[in-house]
Amino acid sequence: MDSIRMEQDALTFNNVSAGYKQRRVLDSVSFRVKEGEFVSLIGPNGCGKSTLLKTAAALLKPLSGTVELFGQDVQRIKPGHRASLLGVVPQKIDSPMAFTVSQIVMNGRISSMGRWGTPSSLDHDLVERSMIYTDVLGLRDRFFTELSGGEQQRVALAMVLAQEPRIIMLDESISHLDINHRQEVLQILMNLNREKRMTILLVSHDLTLAAGISDRFLLMEAGTLVKAGTPAEVLEPELLSRVYNCDLTVQQDPYTGYLQVSGAIDSLRRRRKLERSVHVIAGGGSGIELYRRLLIEGYEVTTGVLNRLDSDAEAARALNIPVVLEQPFSPVGASAIAKAMEMISKADAVVLSQVPFGSGNLVNLQLAEEALKRGKTVLLAAGIGERDYTEGKAAVDFAARLKRAGALNWNSIHELMAQLQQQPHH
Amino acid sequence: MGMKGSPICADNSFTGKGKVRAGLKIALFLAGFPLLLALSLLLGPSGIGIPDLQSPSGSAILSLRFSRLLMGMMTGAALSASGVVFQALLRNPLAEPYVLGVSGGAGLGATLTILAGSGLLSTLGLPVVAFVSAVLTLMVVYGIASQGSSGQPSVYSLILSGVIVSSICSSVVMFLVSTASVEGMHNVIWWMLGSLQPVSAGQQLLSAGLIGTALGGIWLLSPQLNALALGREMAHYQGLRADVVIVVGLLFATLLAATAVSLSGMIGFVGLIVPHVMRALFGPDHRKLVPLAALGGGPFLVLCDAVARTLLAPIEIPVGVVTALAGGPFFLIILQRRMQQAWIA
Repeated sequence: MDSIRMEQDALTFNNVSAGYKQRRVLDSVSFRVKEGEFVSLIGPNGCGKSTLLKTAAALLKPLSGTVELFGQDVQRIKPGHRASLLGVVPQKIDSPMAFTVSQIVMNGRISSMGRWGTPSSLDHDLVERSMIYTDVLGLRDRFFTELSGGEQQRVALAMVLAQEPRIIMLDESISHLDINHRQEVLQILMNLNREKRMTILLVSHDLTLAAGISDRFLLMEAGTLVKAGTPAEVLEPELLSRVYNCDLTVQQDPYTGYLQVSGAIDSLRRRRKLERSVHVIAGGGSGIELYRRLLIEGYEVTTGVLNRLDSDAEAARALNIPVVLEQPFSPVGASAIAKAMEMISKADAVVLSQVPFGSGNLVNLQLAEEALKRGKTVLLAAGIGERDYTEGKAAVDFAARLKRAGALNWNSIHELMAQLQQQPHH
Repeated sequence: MGMKGSPICADNSFTGKGKVRAGLKIALFLAGFPLLLALSLLLGPSGIGIPDLQSPSGSAILSLRFSRLLMGMMTGAALSASGVVFQALLRNPLAEPYVLGVSGGAGLGATLTILAGSGLLSTLGLPVVAFVSAVLTLMVVYGIASQGSSGQPSVYSLILSGVIVSSICSSVVMFLVSTASVEGMHNVIWWMLGSLQPVSAGQQLLSAGLIGTALGGIWLLSPQLNALALGREMAHYQGLRADVVIVVGLLFATLLAATAVSLSGMIGFVGLIVPHVMRALFGPDHRKLVPLAALGGGPFLVLCDAVARTLLAPIEIPVGVVTALAGGPFFLIILQRRMQQAWIA
């Protein structure tokens, strides 16, 4: 019987792009969640998870593509009916007025109540049952605003449960809960999922926890869906490390078989000031993220040659990074080159950012060549062809020459950090 | 665990005991009403007490006091209910008809009508012109506040542009007054100070109809107002057409405020104080709050008016001065003692 009912799609995204007036957040996202599934939506901050939920709930209209809820276009479903299909527990709810907990939970019944908003005995029963489920019955006469964040979250869940939806979406709603209530709320969700076949879409940052309870993962990165599959399929260390832009490891508990994602803490623990320095050749804002990451990782950073008005020059000054400057809109002079070479000779490695090249800053590639001659490690951002604005693609030729002389390529900052760690200390 | 604080069956609107207590409170409140109204009939510039009904002047005085009572009931109910709606929709304890420029717009429309001349236009047309100009003002405010955001204006930009548009309106009124004839100026200034001088029977009847309609509409919206207290987004998730409720609610609240302004001029503070006091006494549930605020606003204003005409008789103090002087401190006391139940911002 299960397999028959599993067939229906609870939530379908067909090529959905969505966002706000000036900013497109979701880019051609397609996936389906079957009825009765427990799915976790994961991805770094700002990748579009909340926007996806808002689009699924018809709060945002897709710019293109369609969202279907149990086979119907969500934009065409009547609001009251939609509330009986879909409930959303947001990151946080707040009430400016002093409503009691039971008054708040009663809001979950609003689309089912009559014109006058008079609750029936069924409404009262559902409200009470939801409050018992989420362990907030004892708080029913307290003012919602007086409660702790975790208690408020459980009240919000009770309100959405009272709605009796067939699919519940939780937007990072369990992060405020203490460990005891987190387990309890997850247990409630799992029970609803198993016993009432309620479909759950959980936005979570706790990958280990989500792996233990989810049938499937959806992994998002920068507005796109990069991977969908079982937790084991999605929790690949390399994929995760790239998407989250940090070192992550995935281990399987030998006894329980649970997947465990870790890394952040381990690498923090052993972090200390590295006695290594890196010279960054950047420009036009391409160096800012490099400076940030290198400083966080504990490197000493120098940079140049930059034009005085360049945004990288501003960033370097703000971050107290020694920098070689040249006057704006003028070719790089001999004294600046000499100063930069002095910095490079003290550095362990030279990193070239994804800076666009023109005739004005081609001299920076000569610096890199000089560094190679002095036995320094040189790491070039890949894909120089798209950033070469010199005549006759001089920068591309130059880069090819550098590579022959031993320069390495890097594709992502994550990869770059790994390469830097492998380099010997000069 | 989970049983912190109150025992399960304390004062609870679901349990019998709580219901009785809440009902008793409301009954007491309603019983106090006629007393307050009767008291207002005893006060006036001609003396304190029941006027001599045998003499023609005595009965005229009583009938005048009675018509002012009716004016006060209507205006007070309209301003209070309007304040409740603005506070709920904007989720802001400071919201009231003045804040969004609604009263200012209505005042500008009414000033133009009064200065333009007499006749049908200035009596029956006054509420209509006031409403139309209030709605136009609201649209301007809403339009300015929506610029640059993703279609939905934030509460802060609404209030900010409301305050600015409101002060522009009052500057225009000042300008009109300063260039008006002496007679016109007198009329407008008296009206601007706010007074419960009876208007024509026709206008009273029309206003009563408009206020009644708007109050009924708002009462029908009250469950939705409860849900909107958790914000537009949450209300949407619970199956409300949140934007429709907001627009309709704003229109009804504007109709109330504009009608009140056209009846009795600019009377401040009522739309702010009465909703807060009622919320402190009876809780924020709008199904109760809307009718109770409408019922409470009347006697409050009527009593203020009685004080205004008696205190320095034969000089009459503008009733707006009394509402502010009487309501302000009272409001502060309530705020301090019952802030938790009134509003936690």
